[in-house]
Amino acid sequence: MKFVDDSQNLRIRLRLIQGLVLVLLAVLTVRLYVLQIINGRHYAEIAENQRIHKLPIPAPRGDIFDRNGRVLVNSRPIYSILLSREDTKGIDRNSLVKPLSQGLSLDAGILRERFDRVKSQPAFESILIKEDASQAEIAWVDAHQLEFPALRVEQTPQRRYPPNGMLAHALGYVGEISPEQLKQPEYRDKGYKPGDIIGQEGIEAVYDEYLRGRDGYRKVIVDSRGHIQSEVEKVEPQSGQDIVTTIEIDLQQAAEEQLRKSPQGRGVIIAMNPNNGEILAIASAPTFDPNLFSQRITTKEGRAEYQALLNDPDKPLIDRAIQGKYPPGSTWKPLMATAGLQQGAITIQSSNLVCGGGITIGNKFTRCMGGNHGSPDLHFAIMKSCDGYFYRLGLKMKLEGIQAMVEEFDLNKRTGIDLPHEVISTTPSRELKARSYPSEPEWKDIDTVYSSFGQGTDVLTPIALLRAHSAIGMKGKMYIPHLLKEVRAIAAMGNDPSRPEYRAERPARSFDRPEPKILPIPIEQSDVVVKAMWSVVNEAGTATGIKMAGFDIAGKTGTAQVVSLGKEGSEHKDHSWFVSYAPAFKPEISVVAMIENAGLGSRFGAPSVRAIYDVYYQKTRPQQESPKNNIALRIR
Amino acid sequence: MVAIIQKRSLRDFDWPIAALAIVIVCFGAWEIRNAVPTETYWQKQLVGLGIALLAMLAIAFTDYRRLVELAPILYVLGLVLLIIVLFPGIGMKINGQRCWIRLPGPLGQFQPSEFVKIPVVLMLARYFGKQRSRLLTWKEFAVGCVILGLPIGLILLEPDLGQALTYLPLLAVVLFLSSVRMWLVAALLITFIVGAPLAYTVGVKTGVLHGYKLERINVILDPENADRRGFGYHTWQSMVTVGEGGLMGSTSSEYSQSSLKFLPEPHTDFIFAVVAETTGFIGCLLLLASYALLLTRLITGARRSRDRTGMLVIMAIVGGLIFQIFINVGMAVGLLPVIGVPLPLMSAGLSSVLATFIAIGFAISVQLRRFVN
Repeated sequence: MKFVDDSQNLRIRLRLIQGLVLVLLAVLTVRLYVLQIINGRHYAEIAENQRIHKLPIPAPRGDIFDRNGRVLVNSRPIYSILLSREDTKGIDRNSLVKPLSQGLSLDAGILRERFDRVKSQPAFESILIKEDASQAEIAWVDAHQLEFPALRVEQTPQRRYPPNGMLAHALGYVGEISPEQLKQPEYRDKGYKPGDIIGQEGIEAVYDEYLRGRDGYRKVIVDSRGHIQSEVEKVEPQSGQDIVTTIEIDLQQAAEEQLRKSPQGRGVIIAMNPNNGEILAIASAPTFDPNLFSQRITTKEGRAEYQALLNDPDKPLIDRAIQGKYPPGSTWKPLMATAGLQQGAITIQSSNLVCGGGITIGNKFTRCMGGNHGSPDLHFAIMKSCDGYFYRLGLKMKLEGIQAMVEEFDLNKRTGIDLPHEVISTTPSRELKARSYPSEPEWKDIDTVYSSFGQGTDVLTPIALLRAHSAIGMKGKMYIPHLLKEVRAIAAMGNDPSRPEYRAERPARSFDRPEPKILPIPIEQSDVVVKAMWSVVNEAGTATGIKMAGFDIAGKTGTAQVVSLGKEGSEHKDHSWFVSYAPAFKPEISVVAMIENAGLGSRFGAPSVRAIYDVYYQKTRPQQESPKNNIALRIR
Repeated sequence: MVAIIQKRSLRDFDWPIAALAIVIVCFGAWEIRNAVPTETYWQKQLVGLGIALLAMLAIAFTDYRRLVELAPILYVLGLVLLIIVLFPGIGMKINGQRCWIRLPGPLGQFQPSEFVKIPVVLMLARYFGKQRSRLLTWKEFAVGCVILGLPIGLILLEPDLGQALTYLPLLAVVLFLSSVRMWLVAALLITFIVGAPLAYTVGVKTGVLHGYKLERINVILDPENADRRGFGYHTWQSMVTVGEGGLMGSTSSEYSQSSLKFLPEPHTDFIFAVVAETTGFIGCLLLLASYALLLTRLITGARRSRDRTGMLVIMAIVGGLIFQIFINVGMAVGLLPVIGVPLPLMSAGLSSVLATFIAIGFAISVQLRRFVN
C-alpha cells in the first residue's frame, strides 16, 4: 500500500473483495460443470428434440374391391388445415377459437374440443383444424398467414364409400382414433398418435393393418417458430394393401333393393357360396352413409346426422346380419330333422309322427298352424311345415337332443365371420329358462315344444342360420362365412433393410380359416332333408311360388312370431324368413332373407330370395334364357 | 522531460490488462457472429472496440486526479443526460424502456446509464477518498446514498431495473473500503442469506409473489417442472443452450440454439449461452479465467495505488464488473432470474464496451501514476 491509511484492516478488506470475486466465479464454474458435464447429454437431447421435427407423410390407404375387381371403397386427395404446435406455445389457444371458427366456418364447440383433446397429449405435431377445406378457406389461410402463422394446409387422403349406404355395415368406415382408443394397449403399442385415421368398423376395422399404409416422414430442422430450415431425411410412404372382397356388387345391389322395397324397409339378406363360405352379398336395412364418418363427422351438421342415427328407433347402425337376433320360426325345422335322424329319434324308414292338429301339454293346447296333417312322414312335415310333427319330434329328442343339434351346427357360437361385433345366438338351455323366468325356473315339456319349432328360447342371427342350412346342403361341410377373398401384395421399398427408408414387402394373403367343420351326417339322412327342402319350392310346399325352371332351389320358409298377432306391417307383425340353397343337390349359392315385421315367410322372404337367384342365374348362365316364372302370393 | 514521461508511461502502462480486454472483446465479436451470423453486430462491435481503445488511451494518459476534480461537473452532466433521455423525441423507447439517445448518422444510439457510472464512481472516490482515520459516519453514509440515489432514481424512471442494480455495488465497495463496521457487513450478509428463502416462502404464502414474477423464480428453483413456454422460457432455453455445449461445444454448429432463434437475445443478454454452446465447458472456463485474471490484475493495481481516491476508483470499477459478470452469467446458467444486464466486454453494444474501456482507462491511469509525486 503506497498511501498511509489509519482506518482498520484495509488490506484485509481488499483481500476479502478479491476472495469474493474468485468465489463468485467459482460458483459459476461449478454450475457450468453441472449443466455441461453432468447433464450435458440430457440438454443436448432436449435441444435436438426441439429443433428436429418429424413431419408425417400420410400413406394412401388400400382400396377395397368386389370379387370382380370393381371398386367399392377408395380414397381421394383433399386439403386439410392444420395448426402447428410450436407457433402456438405460450398463446392461449382459446383465443384462436373465435377467429378460426368464423374464418373457416367451423363449429366453435368442435374446435374447442380438439384443442382440449391435444392437451393431454405430451407430444403432438399439429392439430387438425378442418378437413376437406374449400378453395375459399385455403385462400383465407393464405391471406391470414401473418396473423396466424401457425396455420398450414396439407394434402391428405379422404375415404369415399359407395352411395346409398351400399354394403355400409360390412365395409364399415374409417375415423379419427379416439382418446379412449389411444389409451388401449392394442392401439398404443402400434404407435398410433392423435389424429390418425383408422378403420373403426367393418372390413375397414378388421383388416385395418393391411389396408393402412406405412406413413413416411420428413425429418426437418425447424426454428423456434416452427418454420422449416432444411430437410435432414425423407422417407417415402408405402401405400396400404388393396383388399378384394368376396362381394358380388350386382347381388349386393339386388339384395338391398329387395330390403328397400320391403314393408318396413327393415331386414337382412345374405348370399353365400356354401362351398367355401365366401359371402356374395350381405345387406342389412335400414342402412346409413359411411361417408358421414369419413367426411362430415367433424361438422355440426355431421354431428347432428350421427345423433339422429343413434336415436333412430330402427337402429340403422346395427348390422342385422350378424348383430340382429330373431326367432327362426319354421326355418328351425330342417335342423331339427337332421338331428332327429342322426340321434335316432326318427329313421329314414320310419319317420312318421302324429300331428293331430296340435298337442296338449298339461292343460294347454298348442295348435299346428297348418291344421291337422294326420300322421305325416318327415318329407311331408318339412314340405308343409307341420308344427305338430316337430312338437313330437322335439319331445322325443328332449332338450338334450336339441342342445346336441345346437352344438353340432355351432349355433351357440359365433360363426367367426370376419366382421367385428358379431353376437352369439340364443339357444335353449335350463340355465336360460331359469334366468329368464325366475318365477318358473324349471324346464318343462312345453319349453321343449316351443324350442322344437323355432320359437321360445331359439333366437338366431341370420348369418348363423344361413351357415347351418348351407351345411345341410353341403352334406355336412360347414364353412366359416367370410368377406376376404384376397389381400393384394405390395412390393418392398428399397433394397437395404438396414436403411430407414426401407419398407418390407407386404405379402398377399387370403382368409385365414378356410377349412370347414365336418358334421357327421350320413349322406342318406341329409339327402332326405335336402329332398324335403327341394319339395318346399318345387313340389307342393310352402314356397312353390318362387320355383325356377332349370334351377332347383331348396329352401324353407319361416314365419316368426314376434309377440302376438297384429295387422300387416304393424310393429308386432311376424318376421318373414326364407333360407335356401341352390341348385338343391349341388349347391353353388345359399341365400337367407329375413324381412322384419312383414308377415308370412312365403310371401315376403321367399320372393326376396328369388330375386337374388334371378340375378345370380343371369350372371352365371348368360347363354341361357332366364326362367320367367310368376311369383305366386300367399302360399304356405 | 515529455519523452521521459512517455517512455516511462509506455513501460509502466498496464499492457496485460489492455491486451486481455481486447482479446475478450474480439472473442465476444466472434461469438456475436456465431449468434446472429446474418446481422452486422459483430462488425459494429469491432468498430466499437477501436473507438473504445482510443477513449481508453486518452483516459489512461490523463491524470485521473484532474478528472476526479472535475467529477461534480461530470456528475451533473450525467444526471442531465439521464433526464433528457426520459423525454419522448430524444429518448428512444425499445421494449417499453426509454433508455437510449439516438445519435446523428452512423453513430447509432447510446445508453446514458452505462456512462453515468463513471462520474458516479469519480464522485464517490472524491468524497470518500480523503485521508481516513476513523470509522464511517452516518453522515458520510447518507451522502454516499444521495450520490448513488439520484442516478438510480432517474434510471428507474426509464425504467431499467437491470442497469439500476449495477450501480449498487459501486457504493457497496466504496463503503466497505471506507471502514464501515465489519459487524454491520456481517449482519447484512446473514440477514440476506436467511432472509431470501424466508421472503420467498412468505411471499408465496401471502400471495404477494405471484404471476410472472413467481414463475421467473420457480424456473430457477425447479426448471424441469416450471412453465417453460411462458415466463420460464428465457431461462429454460438458456440452460438448454449452455448444457448442450458439453465439454467441447456443440458439434451441430450449423443449426445452433441461437440461429434457430430458440435462444432469445443471443448477441446481448444471452451471449454467454452462445459461448457455452459453441466452445463448451472449456471455453466457458477460459472466459471466466480471463475475467478472474483481469479483475485480479485490477485489484493488484488498486493495492499499489498511491492514494485512496485512485484505489477507490479501481475497486468501484472492480465491484461493478464482477457484479455484472455474476448477474449475467448467473442468469444464463439458470442461477438467477432474468435481469437485463450486459456481460462486460462480451455483449454487443457500443455503450457497454466504451464505458468498460473508459473504466479500464481510469484503472490504468491510476497505476501509471503510482510513482509520480
